[in-house]
Amino acid sequence: MRITRAAVVEVGAWPHPERAALLEGRGAVLAWDVLGDAAPAARVHDVDRAADWLWEAYGDEAAAGVLGDAAGITPAGAWPAGRALAQLAWLEAWWPASGAAGVPALDLSVLRAERAVATSAVEHLLDDEDATGRALAAVPADPVVAGLSDRLAALAEDYGVVLPAPVASRAEFALAAGGDAAGDGTGADGVTVHSGADPVDWALVPAGAVDAAADARWAVVRRGGATFLDVAVPGGPRPGVPLAARFGAVEVALDGTDGLGRRTGRTPVPATVLLLPPAARRLTVYAPGFAPPAAPDRDPDAPSRRAAIIAYARTRPDAPDATLTERLAGRR
Amino acid sequence: MTTGARAATAGTASPRGLLIDRAWSRLGDAVAPLSNEAGRPLARTVKLILDPLVLRPVRHPEFAAGAVAAGHAEALADRIVEAGPVLAATAAWFLVLKKARRRAGITDGNPQDLYFQRCYELATVHGDPRLSPNAADRAGAVLAEVHDQDGPTVAGLRGFVTDPAHAPELARLLAEAWSDRPAPGGGATGPHPTAVGDFLDTCATKPDQALFDVLVARRVGARGAAELAGSGAARAHGLSDRDRPERPDLGESAAKQHLPKPFDRSIVERLFVPLTTAHRDALDDVPALVRQEIARSAGPWQLADEAGRVVLVLGRAAVAGLAGEVGCDAAVRLRGRWEREAYVRRALRMPSAVPESVRADVHGVREAYLRRLWVRTHGRELRRETVPADGLWDVLDGVLRSVILDQRDRLRSALERRAAG
Repeated sequence: MRITRAAVVEVGAWPHPERAALLEGRGAVLAWDVLGDAAPAARVHDVDRAADWLWEAYGDEAAAGVLGDAAGITPAGAWPAGRALAQLAWLEAWWPASGAAGVPALDLSVLRAERAVATSAVEHLLDDEDATGRALAAVPADPVVAGLSDRLAALAEDYGVVLPAPVASRAEFALAAGGDAAGDGTGADGVTVHSGADPVDWALVPAGAVDAAADARWAVVRRGGATFLDVAVPGGPRPGVPLAARFGAVEVALDGTDGLGRRTGRTPVPATVLLLPPAARRLTVYAPGFAPPAAPDRDPDAPSRRAAIIAYARTRPDAPDATLTERLAGRR
Repeated sequence: MTTGARAATAGTASPRGLLIDRAWSRLGDAVAPLSNEAGRPLARTVKLILDPLVLRPVRHPEFAAGAVAAGHAEALADRIVEAGPVLAATAAWFLVLKKARRRAGITDGNPQDLYFQRCYELATVHGDPRLSPNAADRAGAVLAEVHDQDGPTVAGLRGFVTDPAHAPELARLLAEAWSDRPAPGGGATGPHPTAVGDFLDTCATKPDQALFDVLVARRVGARGAAELAGSGAARAHGLSDRDRPERPDLGESAAKQHLPKPFDRSIVERLFVPLTTAHRDALDDVPALVRQEIARSAGPWQLADEAGRVVLVLGRAAVAGLAGEVGCDAAVRLRGRWEREAYVRRALRMPSAVPESVRADVHGVREAYLRRLWVRTHGRELRRETVPADGLWDVLDGVLRSVILDQRDRLRSALERRAAG
């Protein structure tokens, strides 16, 4: 891996945020590329602090090279403890749950419980010295998983954190609803005069708010002498997030839910909406308060990157190095 | 900044963490209660036991953080291995204390923070609890001591300030303290920007105690308080919501969740947080606390010790670089932390829009920084803790980390509240 040296020592290439599994260590941040199997990239901003633990991530020799003046290093072997914690952070942010693509939802209490246990394993090198206590406080409930629950309980006792009791209902973490990706996506009554579909930019909605693989669909519908814009987007495992969509200058709240679990919205529009040039007929779904409705994603790499992440996620429940959270995805 | 670590590459030094880890693994299962699942010492085992009680880098600078020279590596390992029996006994005492805690139904505080050093004391004085016939009694006594701490209480504070016998005196003290307030800056104006910058240039790498002492002797902290005097200045510092700080009320009660900005807090509110956190036993008794707080509120920065005021001036200068020009090494480092946060937030898929409910907390990081730094400095002043020059960078950097982590928590919980509908 190449090393460049300025105020910050940079090891390797920094992955795109959507594929970055992060570990915030004392004096250095590491990022694994979930689509690569390589050692983590690093940004070392305080060499003295990082010196204490960087050998764990890269091996003695490579770490000495990073901290010294090597122009490149060959990391020695994997670092499962650090990788697992970083992977869990990535899962919580970017796991592309999708009924359409067959990526099962994760169980949030399993994820947070596993994250607390994984945090304690590398606590000594984390930037936040209260990381374990913070991770324990984020556990929504005992996950009721043999082997994990008792470790979690022992950890909670050691850190003086009182865990919430198990929740009876798992409805809120249910599998993503199966999207009807093949239909015209609106089911509108009236005459559809124009319709189309656009992918949802993941950066504009929180994790799990929509089906990560399905397109948002729009239709301009004439009914009773008026014109309406109908929007529908397949929901994700976290249905409560307020969503809205923008089409040209038209804003529509997705405050309905149809029988297929899709988030829907309808708003009257002037008939001139049909005169929009094709390039402006783009639908942007976003979560108000989470992200501003940016112009439709101009990142040319986004479609292939997201397809690769979805393909990666489909392999994870059966991967030999999977976290417990991934192995249990959709299986409880 | 890289000299310590550069030496490591010459094959003559090893990372301290590596040496500690290897020596620790030689202690075996006996220290498991002080280790994590991977068998490594817990972060607090290092911070509360190995560092201050076994390695003692203050007395043995060759064991300080970073790289340890080859000539000392064995000595470091030896110290840990020699401490093996007492560490094993410490671990056993920790189990005894946890059991007693469970039996007593105590859920307050972090057991590692509260008991680790007590366990080491017990181990040193009484040896292994399994050989000690009255171990359970001793454990009970320690728990009682830790949890029924001596020291002033909120109830005592309330009783004192509302007692009609004291009220007139306290009101008079408050009025006098504020009418006799020295001119801001004590007559002199402006800090010594060069000296402040010099200290901040080296505090992260080669902290200079003598230079810090010069800043205190020149009253750079009190002088720097002159900048708080103008209309709106205390507000711009994040320390008040008023145009100009006013004389605080004595107050009667406080709610931890809804404390006003520091300079707008009543005397009772100022004392409330220190009285409800650990280490209460380090505080003076209530009457002295109240009288001191009244005098403190009228001082520059509304603090009593010049060293603490200097810390505020240093923090203000270092954090100014978050938005403006970076003039010194400490400011460069704080700015680096802040800029990293942008990438981290994207990678953690944190909101890029900020909902109205948390906007004030999320913007104004500089104000939040100074506010937190003031609260921590104030708390240390009450407990009579001083920060040595070589601990100052950890304070300045730690406050920004804490503000950033707090912002993340607020953004997350705002998101979860919205999702919950």
